[in-house]
Amino acid sequence: MKKIIVSMALTIMLITASAGLAAPIDAFKGQKGTLDISGGTAHIPVMKEAAKRIMSFNPDIRITVAGGGSGVGVKQVGEGLVTIGNTGRALKKEEISKYGLVSFAFAIDGVAVVVNPANRINALTSQQVIDIYAGKIKDWKEVGGESGTINVFGREDGSGTREVFTEKAIKKGELAPSVNVVSSNGAMKTAVAQDKRAIGYVGIGYIDKSIKAPTFDGTVPSQENAANGKYKVTRNLYMNTKGQPEGLTKLFIDYIFSPEGVEITKDSGYIPLPAGK
Amino acid sequence: MKDNKNTPIWLKASAAYVSSLMSALFIFIALCAVDGLMKSGPSLFCSVWDPERGNFGILPMIWASGLLSLSSLITGWTFSVGCCCFIHGFGPRWAARFLANILRIMTAVPTVVYGFASVFLLVPLIRNGLGGSGFSWLTASIVLSLLIMPTMVLSMDSAFKTIEAQTSITSAALGFTREQNIAMVVLPASKQWIWSSALLGFGRAAGDTLIPTMLAGNAVQYANTPLDAMRTLTAHIGLVLSSDVGGTAYLSLFVAGGILLFVSISANILFRLMRKKIWMQG
Amino acid sequence: MDARIKLLRILAWLSAFFVICSFLMLIGFLIYHGAPVINTSLFFGNTAPLEAITGSRPVWDGIWPAFIGTLCLVGLTMAISLLPGIGCGIYLARYSEGRKKEMLSMAVDLLASVPSIVMGLFGFVLILFLRRTLAPDATTCISLAAFCLALLVMPALVVTTRSSIESLPDSLVTTGISLGFTEQQMLLHILIPAAGKGILGGIMLAMGRAAEDTAVIMLTGVVVNSGLPAGLGSKFEALPFLIFYTAAQYTDQEELLRGFGAAMVLLMLSAALLYAASKLQRTMEKHWKGAR
Repeated sequence: MKKIIVSMALTIMLITASAGLAAPIDAFKGQKGTLDISGGTAHIPVMKEAAKRIMSFNPDIRITVAGGGSGVGVKQVGEGLVTIGNTGRALKKEEISKYGLVSFAFAIDGVAVVVNPANRINALTSQQVIDIYAGKIKDWKEVGGESGTINVFGREDGSGTREVFTEKAIKKGELAPSVNVVSSNGAMKTAVAQDKRAIGYVGIGYIDKSIKAPTFDGTVPSQENAANGKYKVTRNLYMNTKGQPEGLTKLFIDYIFSPEGVEITKDSGYIPLPAGK
Repeated sequence: MKDNKNTPIWLKASAAYVSSLMSALFIFIALCAVDGLMKSGPSLFCSVWDPERGNFGILPMIWASGLLSLSSLITGWTFSVGCCCFIHGFGPRWAARFLANILRIMTAVPTVVYGFASVFLLVPLIRNGLGGSGFSWLTASIVLSLLIMPTMVLSMDSAFKTIEAQTSITSAALGFTREQNIAMVVLPASKQWIWSSALLGFGRAAGDTLIPTMLAGNAVQYANTPLDAMRTLTAHIGLVLSSDVGGTAYLSLFVAGGILLFVSISANILFRLMRKKIWMQG
Repeated sequence: MDARIKLLRILAWLSAFFVICSFLMLIGFLIYHGAPVINTSLFFGNTAPLEAITGSRPVWDGIWPAFIGTLCLVGLTMAISLLPGIGCGIYLARYSEGRKKEMLSMAVDLLASVPSIVMGLFGFVLILFLRRTLAPDATTCISLAAFCLALLVMPALVVTTRSSIESLPDSLVTTGISLGFTEQQMLLHILIPAAGKGILGGIMLAMGRAAEDTAVIMLTGVVVNSGLPAGLGSKFEALPFLIFYTAAQYTDQEELLRGFGAAMVLLMLSAALLYAASKLQRTMEKHWKGAR
């Protein structure tokens, strides 16, 4: 108990001290310890970049970043296997009550349906996407593309991206069993970028020139449209801790909300949210 | 000399350690599997896997595991017999030596390296040549059969060697060529060895995780054509444990693990029995 | 008879063709892409090599942490499995008889047939069990992974040790007894040194298996990003997992090439281990052939 009080006092002193300094990263000066992060794969670019900067600044701090998906994030942070569990969806009530988790939403991300850049399709309606994922539409020519079987890719159970997609894009529509399963946003991007006849969905932050996002019900899936509410298939990205964060964990979360963290979030293609929202 | 009283204590301890670990593993997995079966047995044995709607069927995974391991076994085993014949007289000497060396090197190739090279070489080849997404039963089956071949060839090879050494002079005296000796004498005589090698290969094929996870597409369905995607039990454990943990989905893992353990152990025991029979005959 | 031979001839050529072609294609493809990227920046990224090796600065965009992670993992696995593995092999070869021997060798055989993913699952269950009972803070980590890998490689150690000791000529034991050696002395001064090369070969083989296995570590604590392993209870990176992860998730060309480089490095590592193993075993065989 004494130790905790001392370390808390130290932390508070450090934070107040660091408030006067210029760079937010100075908060990590003299810190030591390990921080394990896992969960949502949309978060990985942000977490990795933050970890890179912090560990380069102070090699005494070790930050491990693992993926796994939102389900893993909740479970692992709840069981105490990691200190921060990321989710790409809001926590369920029973998850909060079972483990006593605290959530920090730090960014908005849209989920977009994507195809290979070589695909002629530039627009899809939600009904078409529903039918494709239900296995009713099987050929690209039925939606106005070059004829060829559609290779449908989806995410694994427990993925936050998948939950947002099923809830908001295909309105809890049926999923055909023939959907190929990949287990992260990166894997989805790789799969679609390699396959001319593929369709899939990723967090908008992952879209670059190797994959293409057709307009969805007439709206371009972009972070601007997601921010101003025109594009509806969006979600918040959360960091979750078991109980209120302390020490290094708190510093890390504060860092994500600092100007430098906000910049990282933006660079990763997400819209930053202010702290406490 | 084999007096047990003189056995150094650390040897006894290591033997006890190894056997107790082995029993611990079996008891743990078996208990968990039985627990899973008791708690959610009936709901596991159906065909739909859709955890969001409360469907936890693992039958498609069992089907996929069986299909994939058997198909790879059949191709791998047939080619293994072929390779053995090639090494023992059907191929030119230099080519035979070359093949034998390649097979030996193949045992050193890590599974994940096979998977990695196949994702970027074989998958696009199949996607562009035959259609589908390229992540399919066929792709996984080709690589898996390649993976299990060295073990089978090496085990058949030792039988071929012994029997050929025993029979070659007699056969030559009867006017047989080397090819004829292999085809008419050695092959029938080493029948049981060849069959038991298949069990070895089957164990490896059924237990492999990486190849199906990386190459078979992981869709939960009954694959109808070789170009369809499938999810094996092994891939299922890897995928689900790395995604949602808890509830029936979680229990299904232990049932899957139990089934895998049971199958591979049965194959091994069968293998031992067959080899024992050969020894007794020999 | 001729039809049968013809059929076999076709099969033999077809099989040889299949194996040689597919193997050369896969490996050639790998070397074609992987060999050019093997250099210091593959290992260390932008960090200065000296700083990376001493660990004073973390490595980003390089496979160094995964490489060291794999080496540590293999070392730890061997530390855990060496003594019991070799001990059990000697016990089987010299001190057990009848039913006991049969049961033990069967147990080892069965252990060898357990799929590695089940081994990983066992580790995962074990840690959950420990968390509920003895050690509430235990988590998946490098020690757990090494413990499970030790189970995986144990059979290889036992079997090679046993067969190298059993292959020693009886005259060796007779000589030992006639010189008045005790059992313990005979073991330490005659049998183990004589079978040493064979046992060493088994160790190399076991190391190769520990280095390449992915399924076990996937469930027992490997992560994408952690830096050098920090201690026995820490999470770690490893080459096979890095390769597995890159195949599915690479985001740019550079990362993909790094994957090819990592695959090459792992391939060379396990080929070297296997080569050493077979070389050692062969020299041992030759050495004792005359004496038998």
